[in-house]
Amino acid sequence: MEEVQKKSSKQSRASLYKTVWRWHFYAGIIFAPFLLILAVTGGIYLFKPQIEQALYQEYYEVNPQGEKVSASQQIQEVKNLYPGAAVTKYRPGESAARSSEVTITSGEETLTVFVDPYTGEFIGELNNDDRIMNKIEEIHGELMAGTVGDRIVELAACWAIVLIVTGMYLWFPKKKPHVMGVLIPRFKKGHKILRRDLHAVPAFWIAAGMFFLIITGLPWSGFWGNNFQAIATNSGLGYPPSTWLGSAPSSTVKTEDIAEVPWAAEKLDVPTSKLQGFIPLPIDDVVEIANREGMHPNYTITIPSEKDGVYTLSVNPPKVKDEATIHIDQYSGAVLADYRYENYGKVAQIVALGITLHKGTEFGIVNQFLSLLICLGIILVVCTGFYMWIKRKPTKEMGAPKAPSLKKQGPLLLLIIGLGIIFPLVGLSVISVWLLDLLIVQRIPAVNRFLNA
Amino acid sequence: MKKNAVILLLVLTATILSACSLEPEVEKRYKQENPLVADIIIPETLSHTELSTFEVILQQEGAEVEDADFVHFEIWKQDGSIKYGMEEANEIGNGIYQISKRINRDGLYYIKVHAGNNGSLIMPQKQFVVGELSENELEFLQSGAKVENQTEESHH
Repeated sequence: MEEVQKKSSKQSRASLYKTVWRWHFYAGIIFAPFLLILAVTGGIYLFKPQIEQALYQEYYEVNPQGEKVSASQQIQEVKNLYPGAAVTKYRPGESAARSSEVTITSGEETLTVFVDPYTGEFIGELNNDDRIMNKIEEIHGELMAGTVGDRIVELAACWAIVLIVTGMYLWFPKKKPHVMGVLIPRFKKGHKILRRDLHAVPAFWIAAGMFFLIITGLPWSGFWGNNFQAIATNSGLGYPPSTWLGSAPSSTVKTEDIAEVPWAAEKLDVPTSKLQGFIPLPIDDVVEIANREGMHPNYTITIPSEKDGVYTLSVNPPKVKDEATIHIDQYSGAVLADYRYENYGKVAQIVALGITLHKGTEFGIVNQFLSLLICLGIILVVCTGFYMWIKRKPTKEMGAPKAPSLKKQGPLLLLIIGLGIIFPLVGLSVISVWLLDLLIVQRIPAVNRFLNA
Repeated sequence: MKKNAVILLLVLTATILSACSLEPEVEKRYKQENPLVADIIIPETLSHTELSTFEVILQQEGAEVEDADFVHFEIWKQDGSIKYGMEEANEIGNGIYQISKRINRDGLYYIKVHAGNNGSLIMPQKQFVVGELSENELEFLQSGAKVENQTEESHH
């Protein structure tokens, strides 16, 4: 009697192992290319500050000499050089030896114009589309494929969690725990074991870091992230509106009280009464407000393009505690909203810290190298995983382990359903796969054989 | 079985597509400011010989501001030929603060109010025209150029 029970429990454990392996196998093969792209681009992007400093040194560095020219004069210089372009941003530069930046849009293009704040002279321009780090970021965030790319990245990130969980199960020692093959790869037990150990052992070592990067990256994602942020903000625990989602407050001045700007006609084309009214604050006043309010020197001023818009001071500093967003009425100069890190909800504080850690800026160089190590680890694990498959794969089949019915695998089924609810994209993809299986794979013997379903 | 699956898929897709959005007035759950709101009132007719009264009505949190921390006026002509320096305004009650000035030349002018109360500082400025505009002033307006700030010094 006891014997039979033991045997059946052993059998079910073996079949659970096979099922988990199968999930890990297919998820791994499908998402390996994306994880590789994310790890490579992420590893590069970590060093954005150093890379851009080296690439654009001639634009960044200026010789401090005497007093700075006012912001409005610097902007006027840019307007003279680019007539017809709209000035959208001004960044004063965080140190005495740093140039100022004026962002302009001209047609479809967004240009950053660098100005020497001491002479007010033009230094150079960069088309934002030409910035290599912007491209890297675009690949990392959306594979350069817009919304579709964004959803694929998100799906890959969510499935990477499935890979970590199933991988941990497969890695977990079945018999007496042993250091070799669990914490240290076995180099002298033959190629097959070495291949397995070079995948599973490093994977264990980086699992926590990889999980951390996924979780801290998800709030950026277009679907899961946006919903998560909206729920957090609505509950009062998230980012204050306009700092992540939502729009900035609008000016308190009524439109009819604003002075009109006449067109360039020979005669005045509007009655003088229309010229009477509020006019926007000069940007120098906004710079003064930024200094008064104690913005981190990295800040940027966003210039309103609409009549009821606001000046926005914002900063993405290396350390999360310096984050701030301030909206200023463009006519009265009143601070309409002032959100610092302390004013974020509890959830947003954690998310924001996760983001500076994810970007590798929170703890400087140590942070960058730790994250780089995780990226390199992911690259290694993806490659060894893929290599293992190539080595094992029979020529005419995928080489996946046989699939027992998932319905008999309670814990795994629960895990999949659970992850499918937390990450609806995973749920949706699981259901799609299941339908595909039901409608095609199970009906066409050749496909069935190939996939070992 | 298959039918259920399709229904489940549809329901899930629908939930996914109906993504969350922010509630109106969600900003009330976060730190709020109480900005001063100013309305600057310029007399409809400005005499060359008599004093004209310029007013600002200050409001904060929906109520008129009595006894503001400070209210100063500044008036200057666009070309810089006339400058009335920063001057303290007289409070006449109901949130109204005023100064009187004689503007005796035609042209394009600016009035700037510097006011502060209960943590909010503002510096709105209005443009106004006395009589006829000169050609230079017209050109200046048509170029759409931002006004040069004539503030002598900041007093914060």
